[in-house]
Amino acid sequence: MQKALSIKNDIKELNRMNLFLEEVGKDFHLESSFLVKLNLVLEEAVSNIIFYAYKPGEVDRPIDIILSYTDLLAVKLVDKGKPFDPTKRANPDITLSLEERPIGGLGIFLIKQIMDEVTYKRENGQNILIMKKRIKV
Amino acid sequence: MNDNMKVTITEGPEVIITISGRLDTNSSADFEKTIEPILSGTALKVKMNCTDLKYVSSSGLRLFLLLQKKLSHRNGTLRLCGLSADVREVFDVTGFSALFLIE
Repeated sequence: MQKALSIKNDIKELNRMNLFLEEVGKDFHLESSFLVKLNLVLEEAVSNIIFYAYKPGEVDRPIDIILSYTDLLAVKLVDKGKPFDPTKRANPDITLSLEERPIGGLGIFLIKQIMDEVTYKRENGQNILIMKKRIKV
Repeated sequence: MNDNMKVTITEGPEVIITISGRLDTNSSADFEKTIEPILSGTALKVKMNCTDLKYVSSSGLRLFLLLQKKLSHRNGTLRLCGLSADVREVFDVTGFSALFLIE
């Protein structure tokens, strides 16, 4: 099973992505608790593309979201922004005290915590991020 | 105001912030604007009622942390109440559960 959505690099488009995910949840028969996590993964990954892969002022640029579900759930994100590898981001130290704890830097970490596998490649001028999760049927 | 998120502030000896819906990339700017008087104010006791908070992403987490840091800096206290299992899990995974008083 596969479902795809193409959005523009605008955070308002996240609302459309969320509606699409609700459909995916029904079609793929995903548990609601997993759907919340999948929503989080996609929001973090897509907002990073909007904020960091595309430059401020660059409008109407595409982000393709492809979800497939065979023996595992796979999410593929494709954009035409500048090279941006989120997997290179260092994990935050989550044992720091309140005073030492920096604000931010949790998005990619959340993705890595939720998904089993996160891989990045640059191909034909595109960023391709693939995230996989083994889930019970 | 974002349709998917609502926040109300009730003043008193303990300020109560009631948040419902989705605290995400789109709504967190509205949330930050609404709690700005508390962030930069003098309130020492703040309770966040999260019973109807359905979803929080990293953009929302940064505001929880900001509020906690501001209150802690002026020796105040912040209590979080009614976290759903989904929201609690995000707090657990990010180590935030250790940084907050969760009831």
